[in-house]
Amino acid sequence: MAYPYVSDREVRVVSKHFGDPLQRRIDTYVERGGYKALAKALEVGPEDVVDIVKSSGLRGRGGAGFPTGVKWSFMPKDTNRPHYLLCNADESEPGTFKDRELIRWDPHQLIEGCLIGAHAIRAQHVYIYCRGEFFETTQVLARALEDAYAKGYVGENILGSGHTIDVTVHAGAGAYICGEETGLMNSLEGRRGLPRIKPPFPAAVGAFGMPSTINNVETLCAIPHIVTHGGEWYRQWGTEKSPGTKLFCVSGHVNKPGNYELALGFPLSELIEDVCGGVRNGNALKAVIPGGSSVPIINAEEVSRCSLDYEGCVAVGTMLGCASVIVMDETADIVKQVRRMADFYAHESCGQCTPCREGTTWTAKILRRIEDGRGTEEDLDTLMQTTQNMVGTTICVLSDSVAAPVQSSIVKFRDEYLALIRRGERVGAA
Amino acid sequence: MSDVPFKNPGWAGNTGEFDLSEDQVRGDDFVGERPKHGGHASGSATMPYMLAEKNPDAVLFEGEYKERFEKILTRYPDKQAALLPALSLAQELRGYVSPASMDRVAELLGLSPAYVRGVTTFYTMYNKRPVGRHLVQVCTNISCNLCGADDVLAAFLRYTDTELGETSEDGNFTVIEAECLAGCGFPTCVQINSRYFENVSPTEVPKIIEHLKAEGDS
Repeated sequence: MAYPYVSDREVRVVSKHFGDPLQRRIDTYVERGGYKALAKALEVGPEDVVDIVKSSGLRGRGGAGFPTGVKWSFMPKDTNRPHYLLCNADESEPGTFKDRELIRWDPHQLIEGCLIGAHAIRAQHVYIYCRGEFFETTQVLARALEDAYAKGYVGENILGSGHTIDVTVHAGAGAYICGEETGLMNSLEGRRGLPRIKPPFPAAVGAFGMPSTINNVETLCAIPHIVTHGGEWYRQWGTEKSPGTKLFCVSGHVNKPGNYELALGFPLSELIEDVCGGVRNGNALKAVIPGGSSVPIINAEEVSRCSLDYEGCVAVGTMLGCASVIVMDETADIVKQVRRMADFYAHESCGQCTPCREGTTWTAKILRRIEDGRGTEEDLDTLMQTTQNMVGTTICVLSDSVAAPVQSSIVKFRDEYLALIRRGERVGAA
Repeated sequence: MSDVPFKNPGWAGNTGEFDLSEDQVRGDDFVGERPKHGGHASGSATMPYMLAEKNPDAVLFEGEYKERFEKILTRYPDKQAALLPALSLAQELRGYVSPASMDRVAELLGLSPAYVRGVTTFYTMYNKRPVGRHLVQVCTNISCNLCGADDVLAAFLRYTDTELGETSEDGNFTVIEAECLAGCGFPTCVQINSRYFENVSPTEVPKIIEHLKAEGDS
């Protein structure tokens, strides 16, 4: 069930047991068919698990949408060196709140997904990197993991298969950049969370210098279901290129915000109007950010044409990202919100690359100036130029992420910027 | 749940379609009391609590905390990887990470003090100076901001009689702004010590503050 609201338009695969506190208990989880997929995966062997996941077409749910099975197949087949599976639970993209719900309602689903993933890439240790703020969530996960160890689902000789897989929950310490995969690896190793230059890719040189794969929580949560029912089963939902279901985190000005699991390709307008009970107070819709704060903002007209899959979002000039739908009604102050996002990126820039370190800070400063009524029309050109220089010039995509909302908002909501700027001029003249 | 003390504590409060108790949402009944020694080693690095009771002179580490520290070391291929959990442990005991704490952690892990200083200052969750009994972190990022987070932050500052980033005179509260806490569907999301308070509106702030003063951070 979605939580905290329910809709009958949902297809509940990974979120089936949201809102059911019994699901955390290992006995209930096993009674409901849990850890059967693990047994099956251990029986068929790594290659077959990778093939099943490849056939499902599952794409990474963390934002980039890279096919999971293909990612796993990049891992070396030898086991001369340790391999690591890292689960990215450093959920910190503004607008995203799915991983926390997945972990706190159904921790064993994630543990089972981690174990199957580890088996598929021949890893003997899984690190679940939880963001540091998730104190309560990690307690639930740690307790569930303790139960799983006690029952022999994790650790040495799992289910008598001879395979050993350990799982460790690691807590971060508050840095958005550690959600970037190579930043996460550095952080796990006890360093500052600075992203690394690729290549070498993590499958060759990852955590602790060993071959590693990083998957998002939601991706790994889907794995047990895919292994149990097969790839074709998962393809019954979604589109040809974006198969399956996805959790949509809806926040902002809607009547029923929350997580809703829908088949990919669902129309964005129906998500807002039907599933989420419409925009609050019957207000008009102004803008939506469909994929978390790092993607271009779209206006009401584009919302009506947008279908929620990786390709459908690109078609209207934005991205699905991690499907964090931030809804803004007519009362929203676009300039203020974009400035708030820019502040966020300026705060979270790791400072490694100059275009990002300087660019995010100056972007935030200029936006602040405009918001305070001290801006000029030239500032808009400066912003466009500055952010353009931030795209594709850095190690990771954090600086691209600030360019997307700034540029798209200036193009689509130029009137709002100009109104603030002109009001400022009048104030100055008087 | 009609006799909710104040709208929320960590669950969807009066806004959702579920009828669950606070324990059931937070999982408190499931988690139970987590032992100070960290429980099973797999989860020993998950307990970087912010506690109300702090002891700035606590020894790093002894007793059950030493036990937990040693468990953490067993989970990584090298000592350096235990740095973040070890700093968290120091903060749990002392309430913040002072330069002296950093040096001690460096010594324990065989790292240079300068290196540990660099790592500690990179991460926002390590308090570089002492904080009040209750560290109040109000999310003001976009989703919460759209729903009035600025007013919630202002209410916390007003009712705790403190300024942003400062500690109130009675030593009870430090109020800071936080970046997205991943509770966007439950605006405004506020983290107080280790707990999430969701669906907080300015009118509930005085109740939350009274609750904290009366019952600590439980």
